Amino acid sequence: MAYSFPEEVLEYVFSFINCDKDRNAVSLVCKSWYEIERWCRRRIFIGNCYAVSPGVMIRRFPEIRSVEIKGKPHFADFNLVPEGWGGYVYPWVIAMSRAYPWLEEIRLKRMVVSDECLELISKSFKNFGVLVMSSCEGFSTDGLASIAANCRNLRELDLRESEVEDLSGHWLSHFPDTCTSLVSLNIACLGSEVSFSALERLVSRCPNLRTLQLNRAVPLEKLPNLLRGAPQLVELGCKKLKGLSGFWDVVPAYLPAIFPVCCGLTSLNLSYATIQSPDISKLISQCQNLQRLWVLDYIEDGGLDILATCCKNLEELRVFPSDPYGVEQNVSLTEQGLVSVSEGCPKLQSVLYFCRRMSNAALVTIAQNRPNLIRFRLCIIEARATDYLTLEPLDTGFGAIVENCRELRRLSLSGLLTDRVFDYIGKHAKKLEMLSIAFAGDGDLGLHHVLSGCESLRKLEIRDSPFGDKALLANAAKLETMRSLWMSSCSVSYGACKLLGQRLPRLNVEVIDERGTPESRPESCPIEKLYIYRTVAGPRFDTPDFIWTMDEEGNTPLGIA
Amino acid sequence: MSEPDLQITKVEKTGPYVWIQTADGSIHEVEKEVASFCPLICHEIESGVGYSKDYPIALPPRVNPAMLSLILDYCQFHYVAGHSNKERRSFDEKFSHMDTKRLCELTSAADSLQFKSLVDLTSRALARMIEGKTPDEIRETFHLPDDLTEEEKLEPLKNTTDDPRIRLLNRLYARKRKELIDRQKLKNEAEVEHEDDRSVDDLLSFINGKDGDSKEVRSSKNKKKSRKKKNQPKNHPPSCSSPNGNASSNTGNRLSLEEEFDDCDIDDEIDPALKEKLDREVEDFARRLNSDWPERMQEILSSGQERGPGPVSSTAIDPSINVQE
Repeated sequence: MAYSFPEEVLEYVFSFINCDKDRNAVSLVCKSWYEIERWCRRRIFIGNCYAVSPGVMIRRFPEIRSVEIKGKPHFADFNLVPEGWGGYVYPWVIAMSRAYPWLEEIRLKRMVVSDECLELISKSFKNFGVLVMSSCEGFSTDGLASIAANCRNLRELDLRESEVEDLSGHWLSHFPDTCTSLVSLNIACLGSEVSFSALERLVSRCPNLRTLQLNRAVPLEKLPNLLRGAPQLVELGCKKLKGLSGFWDVVPAYLPAIFPVCCGLTSLNLSYATIQSPDISKLISQCQNLQRLWVLDYIEDGGLDILATCCKNLEELRVFPSDPYGVEQNVSLTEQGLVSVSEGCPKLQSVLYFCRRMSNAALVTIAQNRPNLIRFRLCIIEARATDYLTLEPLDTGFGAIVENCRELRRLSLSGLLTDRVFDYIGKHAKKLEMLSIAFAGDGDLGLHHVLSGCESLRKLEIRDSPFGDKALLANAAKLETMRSLWMSSCSVSYGACKLLGQRLPRLNVEVIDERGTPESRPESCPIEKLYIYRTVAGPRFDTPDFIWTMDEEGNTPLGIA
Repeated sequence: MSEPDLQITKVEKTGPYVWIQTADGSIHEVEKEVASFCPLICHEIESGVGYSKDYPIALPPRVNPAMLSLILDYCQFHYVAGHSNKERRSFDEKFSHMDTKRLCELTSAADSLQFKSLVDLTSRALARMIEGKTPDEIRETFHLPDDLTEEEKLEPLKNTTDDPRIRLLNRLYARKRKELIDRQKLKNEAEVEHEDDRSVDDLLSFINGKDGDSKEVRSSKNKKKSRKKKNQPKNHPPSCSSPNGNASSNTGNRLSLEEEFDDCDIDDEIDPALKEKLDREVEDFARRLNSDWPERMQEILSSGQERGPGPVSSTAIDPSINVQE
């Protein structure tokens, strides 16, 4: 009994389907759905800017309003990706400036953005509203001035963690008096101070402002005024809440101004703030609706206990190290803090935790407390650290994590780990999409477990681990199902890279070696760094001179053109 | 307040009636107030149609008697002003739970009547049936043809591009770019005024990129980034490299690659509109690179830096600083 899907409402039905995975599925159903879907796709996510060319994106999706693009591999955050690697957004901006006059949103991560790009963006898209640049670089405050001055409907300007050439703080004053549309402003990464009065005026004329992440020292007496001008605020971050210590004792008159804000806060970013434990604890105890907390380890185990008691809606916790290179521990933060939070916060799903010691027992407890974890990134500061109680590897602890947390999508390992942990991961981490490995494993078998077992794996990044050719070559086909693989300071030979490049034409196999061309060394010689990613755009031609793309025909690889 | 039963029992005949005819010819007597909740029917009534059996409101073909009945059930609930939003939502939720076939038919019927609120409800229900499914499952649910070719079925973004022609084009791309750069470079060399002892050959081999000085050493790397993850023992920095003398062999290889393509009539196979677009892109990108060249050359020639590892200062936060060894 065939009946037909009401094609006349297909487009309307699609308007309720927004997640990328579903849109992709829809486009593969049949020819007519493919056609209709591509015309009404408004939002696109490009996980790797080299996986596809701008021209192809534009040709297939003519009506895009929102673009998100990622560039450099994640390990760029740890200075493992050399300068000049690539990730230029310019070709994308040029192409979109011609094809998408109605573009509203651009979100970039780890890309190189120039002032020229920013100016082009500010002038090409009349309805432009959202610019998020996460860990980007290559632009200055002049570029920001163009954005402030020309984007009449700017709602979001978010510079999170970007490296900005600070020419002056004056750029903020380029927002015209008529600008009232701001909802979110994050300038925490900027070095130079912006005019406080300009900031105050901007904040007070934007009634919808909900997120404010500032870079300057906020003098105690000015904070309440600033906050009063932003009654809708739900997210706050300050670099230095100056004078906060002793704040609570000294000026009770200001407290009523702060507390209402605290109740409304769902996200608090204190990762730049050097306030100490008692003050953090008092602040946090006021923020009962907190869902996300980023904080330095000054919070200590005591502060985390309070967090566990007061913030029952907490979903994400990130604890950063205040002194990662100090030999001695400077704060009283241990695995206990994380265990407390895992006990007390039932909605906790996302963890990034730097600490100096860990035990299998603690990890097992955490795993049993929080089987709903989705992201678990543990960073024990010393590489190859053992379980501090038993001196064993931490295989069992991480094994418990992957076994109990069935929905785990992201995992970062640390500490002393053998191939056994990879066996556990391969067996249990079926929903795992991203795995970060450093100084771990015994040999190829470990990598083989991961590549053959983790069905949902999309991104794998490995450094300083004894993985060589065998696991890679045996699981070569797996690489085409993943977005990317990064391996540095491992034991992958040049010969294996050439072979991969030959066998897998839909991948770019890029050898990064700052010692000069790998052709000048024996083929069995291990290369420094390897970045493999799937692409339909062919080898890229903006590679710097220390990157070689393995050629399909097994010829001398394409160097810079 | 009790939830209304989906089994609508016919209410006592309390008011005026209208007559509605479905495509199969059958005529139905319906309470006017209820039916009027459907905008199209309301409009017809106001135009004077439907008051007698002889002049019934004719509905579009996609509204068969079964669909009319469902639609009237919907109207029967919603036309009553007294229900709260919560009640309405609850009714809608239950109402839209029906088998796929009926839901499709109902959506179609509602659409032909331009009955917006019902189209909305049924469309959302269809969307929910689609979400979370694989293409195969969607096809099976809705009896849709499997008419995309294997090629087209590759990852969605790959559909139109996993094409040897496109890859050949990318190589043409690369070659064109090099030509443009070379041309520009030669032009620059003619224009450049600063005194320079190097020969043109040196410059060319230099620019062909076997030496690494073209990277400026950036002094301020964002400290915060490195904070975010593990601190790891020292990576022994790669030793200073000797400038690579393979420029000529590399160029030689590149030429042989290009010769391969001189013989092909690549252009004939590519869609002209696409080619034109791509050509424009190549040129723009080359121009962009070219505009950087004069500055880069200045840097290269004036800096004379030693090729070596990036700065490892004690204050720069670098996860490779030795803790263990």
